[in-house]
Amino acid sequence: MPGAPDCSVRIGGLRLENPVMPASGTFGYGEEFAPFLDLNRLGAVVVKTLTRRPRLGSPPHRSTEVPSGMLASIGLQNVGVEAFVRDKLPFFEGLSTKLIVSIGGETVGEYRQVAEILDREGRVDAMEVNVSCPNVERGGMHFGTDPFMVESLVGQIRDRTRKPLMVKLAPMTSDIRAVAEAAQRAGADALSLINGPPGMAVDVRSRRSRLGTSRSGGLAGPAVRPLALHLVYQAVRAVDIPVVGIGGISSAEDALEFLIVGATAVQVGTWSFVNPRITLDVAEGLEAFLREQGHETIRAVIGSLR
Amino acid sequence: MTSSAITARAVFTVEASEQAGRGVVRIGLVPPPAAVVPRPGQFYSVRCGASTAPLLRRPFSVHRVREVPGGWRLDLLVRIVGPGTRWLGSRAAGDRLDVIGPLGNGFDPDPETTAVLVGRGIGIAPLYALGEALRGSLPRERLLILMGARLKERIFLREELSDLGVLHLYTDDGSEGFRGRAPDLLRRLAEDGVPGDRFAVYACGPDRMLRELAGLQARLGFDGQAALEDHMGCGFGACLSCAVPLVPRSVRRGGPWPKPALQYDETGSAAHSLICRDGPVYDLREVDWDAWCA
Repeated sequence: MPGAPDCSVRIGGLRLENPVMPASGTFGYGEEFAPFLDLNRLGAVVVKTLTRRPRLGSPPHRSTEVPSGMLASIGLQNVGVEAFVRDKLPFFEGLSTKLIVSIGGETVGEYRQVAEILDREGRVDAMEVNVSCPNVERGGMHFGTDPFMVESLVGQIRDRTRKPLMVKLAPMTSDIRAVAEAAQRAGADALSLINGPPGMAVDVRSRRSRLGTSRSGGLAGPAVRPLALHLVYQAVRAVDIPVVGIGGISSAEDALEFLIVGATAVQVGTWSFVNPRITLDVAEGLEAFLREQGHETIRAVIGSLR
Repeated sequence: MTSSAITARAVFTVEASEQAGRGVVRIGLVPPPAAVVPRPGQFYSVRCGASTAPLLRRPFSVHRVREVPGGWRLDLLVRIVGPGTRWLGSRAAGDRLDVIGPLGNGFDPDPETTAVLVGRGIGIAPLYALGEALRGSLPRERLLILMGARLKERIFLREELSDLGVLHLYTDDGSEGFRGRAPDLLRRLAEDGVPGDRFAVYACGPDRMLRELAGLQARLGFDGQAALEDHMGCGFGACLSCAVPLVPRSVRRGGPWPKPALQYDETGSAAHSLICRDGPVYDLREVDWDAWCA
């Protein structure tokens, strides 16, 4: 009887036991999911975006359901990097899973400060740079929309840490390939995409936005998967570093689509709300697919688009 | 893995489903053998479909826990408002549901103090469970129930509620019971004198009603708790959809209300709590009603 197929992948200097991790912002600080699955069996855990100081986020009534998706404006609510290190990081001391921490900020300086603080924490295995934050020094324009802003931002974070850096790209750009190349030039070890595209929904009776005073939010869930797959395919062909596919994955089959177009790994997001064990279900499903197809390694699938 | 890992997500089987009122369905569920018995005010996050539409789970409060030989049954009260509740409302005996729970803190009632349950429409659902829990410690005349709706046809559970305690009905148009809204009726009852030396209010219903109760509380000085509702993406603290602003100086933390998801801003002058993990029940004084109802 042959042994278990090798599902391990490399993201920068980081070896993941399997290519499945949760998407930042859909998995809390990890501990929320401990009742539902063994976190050590995931390729990595990715926690929500941390900023320098605590943020309370958007006003109430933050999410609504749309066809095969979820529209949400959370406003980067988080406890802040210091409270994370003090209150949330100890939870991971008892775990062996890889830990990737998402970082954000309103200025380049804030991103740098968050990266510096996390760089000192041995338990943090890698950082994911959330470039979908409004740049207050540029009138609130998102860092991720522009290749020059991305290159400058990532370059300055790169100076502050030797930990693997993954850059999470936004879908709304003039050319995703240019942004992907810019991130690679600036020293990114990997890319992840897509963050949720913006969206809006209106209640026709009250004539108010269904997201209340926030009006617009980020679209997530199966509704974005074809868009995400297309952009991942484009990014894979533009860069040499690993690309992590994100967007509406709800099954191993969905994940395989991303791997086949060239993603090295995947992140599962919104579906963790529906099925909190889905990340592990996808990892197990990938292994079953390899067995079924007679592959000894996941690398036989990655980039195998005909 | 702890035992909560076994009970957190489970398959509940539909035992019966029946019309409880106009557009309202009562679903009786058989829990799996190891399931934790919920407290009044707690809720369940229920998958309401089998595909990507409807996508997200929906939260339903504990309407009733019924003891049966060798176990218990869970009743949910579902108002049909969209595709998710329509799917759930059309389940039949023997169907299996993907359920996470019990979730949230639940009410923290004072079993000795006269209780006034203030509901409107589907908001009566969790108050019924609370009333059943209080029935053992309070004489009937000290368990008051205020139930109402826009008009008479929207009122339901009349018989069950009058069996539980002293029922006062109200409608906006006066087609049944007191003409006006619940806070107006409560003020009238308080003026006439509620049995016992003081009373506590337990409420669930539209935000506007809860906000008016909080305003009345400031004038009359009673204690009060309210179960809040919001769109939830998950029900267990991951999506951060159901944040509610609290008044920092009035935050009540400890005992059955640990508030694990409570977060303050840097100066301590503002706080956000997650309804799914810290609530859904809050002290009326805790909620920043202006921000919540904005």
